[in-house]
Amino acid sequence: MDTNELIARLTADLEPVRPLRPPWARAGLWLALALPCVAALVWGKLNVDASLVASDVRFLVEEAATLATALTAAYAAFASAVPGFDRRLLMLPLASLSLWLASVGHGCLQDWIRLGAEGLAIRPDWDCLLLATLIGVVPAAAMIAMLRAAPSLRPRATLALAALAVAALANFGLQFAHVRDASIMVLTWHLGAAAVFAALGGWLGERVLAQPDRLPAR
Amino acid sequence: MSGNVGQERDLAALMRAAQAGDRRAYSALLFALLPLLREAVRHRFPFLQPHDIDDLVQDVLLSLHASRATYDPNRAFLPWLGAIARNRMADGARRYARRAAHEVATEQPLETFPADAANSSATGYGDTQALGQAMAALSPGQRQAIELMKLQEMSLKEAAAATGMTIGALKVSVHRAMAALRKALASRD
Repeated sequence: MDTNELIARLTADLEPVRPLRPPWARAGLWLALALPCVAALVWGKLNVDASLVASDVRFLVEEAATLATALTAAYAAFASAVPGFDRRLLMLPLASLSLWLASVGHGCLQDWIRLGAEGLAIRPDWDCLLLATLIGVVPAAAMIAMLRAAPSLRPRATLALAALAVAALANFGLQFAHVRDASIMVLTWHLGAAAVFAALGGWLGERVLAQPDRLPAR
Repeated sequence: MSGNVGQERDLAALMRAAQAGDRRAYSALLFALLPLLREAVRHRFPFLQPHDIDDLVQDVLLSLHASRATYDPNRAFLPWLGAIARNRMADGARRYARRAAHEVATEQPLETFPADAANSSATGYGDTQALGQAMAALSPGQRQAIELMKLQEMSLKEAAAATGMTIGALKVSVHRAMAALRKALASRD
């Protein structure tokens, strides 16, 4: 197609758009939408002794790290969709993710010292996986809807970060809902699921958020 | 991509107006960007032919259009555009490298085939009347796909842009149309 004709078609297609809010505001909005849905799903299954929670440093550290991972990954996902973003932002969730991983790893070590090989036994926990998936549905839908406001120049990174944010938020809720498991179970089913979701997001990125190669449909 | 302060201010003002839906400003903006983008592509890929340069410029314009909500009116316009242009040029470079890796430039090869019927010296299909009738029997969508991609030799991307069809739908149309033509012409032989 002739470039002048393309410009005429793009001009004819022009609709007013509201500039997107800054990434931190969009990440905050996503959390504000998603967190109540997570809370509502978890509320009926609360399995936390409030008097013990305050003194359980590992639980508090893990929950803080998980929530921080969700927030920073969401911020990085929204920022990565804006042309000219600072690539260092892609690394933003690393600190909280490392803390989360370190805390769970420390728990695994303690279980091993305390219980030996039995402390590192991995059992399938389908109820937990089902609840995690249910908790993740609304945050994931909200995230995709918000990201699809514009295509990303780095769709794989954007959707991988978005998936990490959703998985981290689901884990944050899940920790309140089920009995404190052995750390190896958390490592396998929570962090493992987060890694799978992030990889899946990276794989799907170009299909969901790719740059256009043709005129928008009328 | 660089520009002077006045140019940056003018382009940013046009972009803000375009975000508000001002078509005249948008058209002025896109036409003002054409020489900048052509120069940027030519600078990055000095070996490209003009029509290939325009293909890449069009990719950048399509991305600008799709991403226009991501432009923050409080920030500079040219760095934002530069990021889009660099990204699409990198896509173009990858596409070029892929194509170069799968294509080998050769002289016109001498063709011989085991079957005598295939060793024809004819350069085109002989029975143009039969071909015309077979074309007429195609569905309008299939006929249009054949006309654009086989007769006018458009790429899938160009044909998709011209028809508004998806690349996948075009591939299916061409495949079915070729199968129908083959069947119609074979039944006459």
